[in-house]
Amino acid sequence: DQKALDSSTVFNFRSYMVEKATIVNKALDDAVSVKNPPMIHQAMRYSLLAGGKRVRPMLCIAACELVGGHQSQAMPAACAVEMIHTMSLIHDDLPCMDNDDLRRGKPTNHKVFGEDVAVLSGDSLLAFAFEYIVTATKGVSPSRVLSAVGELAKSIGTEGLVAGQVVDLASTGKTNIGLDQLEFIHIHKTAALLEASVVLGAILGGGTQEEVEKLRRFARGIGLLFQVVDDILDVTKSSEELGKTAGKDLVTDKVTYPKLMGLEKARHFAEKLKEDAKFQLSEFDNDKVAPLIALADYIAHREN
Amino acid sequence: PSTLATQFDLKTYWTALIKEINQKLDEAVPVQYPHQIYEAMRYSVLAKGAKRAPPVMCVAACELFGGNRLAAFPTACALEMVHAASLIHDDLPCMDDDPSRRGQPSNHTVFGVDMAILAGDALFPLGFRHIVSHTPTDLVPETRLLKVIAEIARAVGSTGMAAGQFIDLEGGPNAVDFIQEKKFGEMGECSAVCGGLLGGASDEELQKLRTYGRAVGVLHQVVSDVLEAKMDTQDEDEGKKKKGKSYVGVYGVEKAIEVAEDLKAQAKKALDGLEKYGDKVVPLYSFVDYAADRGFTIDQEV
Repeated sequence: DQKALDSSTVFNFRSYMVEKATIVNKALDDAVSVKNPPMIHQAMRYSLLAGGKRVRPMLCIAACELVGGHQSQAMPAACAVEMIHTMSLIHDDLPCMDNDDLRRGKPTNHKVFGEDVAVLSGDSLLAFAFEYIVTATKGVSPSRVLSAVGELAKSIGTEGLVAGQVVDLASTGKTNIGLDQLEFIHIHKTAALLEASVVLGAILGGGTQEEVEKLRRFARGIGLLFQVVDDILDVTKSSEELGKTAGKDLVTDKVTYPKLMGLEKARHFAEKLKEDAKFQLSEFDNDKVAPLIALADYIAHREN
Repeated sequence: PSTLATQFDLKTYWTALIKEINQKLDEAVPVQYPHQIYEAMRYSVLAKGAKRAPPVMCVAACELFGGNRLAAFPTACALEMVHAASLIHDDLPCMDDDPSRRGQPSNHTVFGVDMAILAGDALFPLGFRHIVSHTPTDLVPETRLLKVIAEIARAVGSTGMAAGQFIDLEGGPNAVDFIQEKKFGEMGECSAVCGGLLGGASDEELQKLRTYGRAVGVLHQVVSDVLEAKMDTQDEDEGKKKKGKSYVGVYGVEKAIEVAEDLKAQAKKALDGLEKYGDKVVPLYSFVDYAADRGFTIDQEV
């Protein structure tokens, strides 16, 4: 029957996500073993293996496969971007930063291991991401691995995650924050690493410069999208559904898209970002582009 | 090589390199939006009075094997960036809670704990990025640069300097040896090995540099502890805090001096077989003597 035929040809995103997350989780588990001193490594593993959705690793692998590469070429980079993501969460949750007790439904790293170990395990994940990408990447030319290192480094520091967090901290409690500043925060705090995830995958998979740049624009768009949706979810969902403290943005006076433009306009903005991002994929092979299109839809329509 | 050593003036060599390295670090960390984070990074990276021992050792090791020092400068700067990042985090209230560093207030005292954490978080990746974007590719094969990045990442990571800091805070059996090796030996080892990698050293030569750099790093710290104890200028609280973390605190001055002698011999022995490179090995010998004897003070100019 026609309905059954359609559904068999339609890309099955749910099983794709489960499959990739399983492979990535296994790779992360193997990558960070317990060495001496045990507690730092246990703290690294506690946050790294806490069961995130692995959106960044998936983007990395999907971009690699889209440009004709093999998953194995991107796997160490996929793990590296997740290590960086985890590291930034551990440090952002510290009492001197966002002061969060709960993350991914579990007590935050410093609540379990203490602030000193939380700082050190974050630093260690940061360093290990670089060690891992250069020592574990196989079947890729050294010049491409070096470019990947440069891109990853850029996404973390003062042109990436750190810049976003600095402006975010400076903006908290202020009422005169505009859309420009809000966008700066999210482009750096969220989109930069999503961008790096996709760009690393495309570089390591052998993509041309033109392909890499198209995918960069795609990723930046869905990165901002990710945050706009996050802001919307924070005002529309309960803590239980989110697995973290909901409404926190309101309580701490943080500026959000719904607050600046209203909920409806924020939803329209999200829709536009999604369509613009998908447009960047229009010249790629129709069959191979399905995972990234589905990821964009997933980020736009996720419930937590 | 004692005859050569007399003709070699380490102070001049070192001071000239400090000047070049400071200039390159100044260019590597510009000030742009958001200003406060760049200011915080610059405050620690460009701190007056920094001796720049890791970068100078890196350059000397690179030149030993005929490498061009231009090939070593970006890595030399990266070593200083990741070193500064580690020190900023070590000083935090939740760590050593140190109000001062290199004779000035520590980073978090000036910029706040949040900025200090972020300055460190930004300096680690900046080091790696600087190596990738600034090393002349005609001077260094890309495979060697990958090894340099892995070496630095390992040195600062969970089995290196971070491990040393952890045991420093949490304690453990024979903690003092572990702490000295990891907190001070790693940086020396990494600096010498990175220089060797950039200069094209063989695996066997890299192994010598590994032993050499580690011994010099620990030697420098042990001698500093001995000198501090002899001057006895510390107030009592500080003395108590450091007890248990240094050889002097645990074993006393006499034993620490023995350890220093042993390290000095170890470092020099590691250089056996490198005399074939002639004059170029002299700076490495002189670092050992400097670490042991402190025959002069490094000019504190920027």
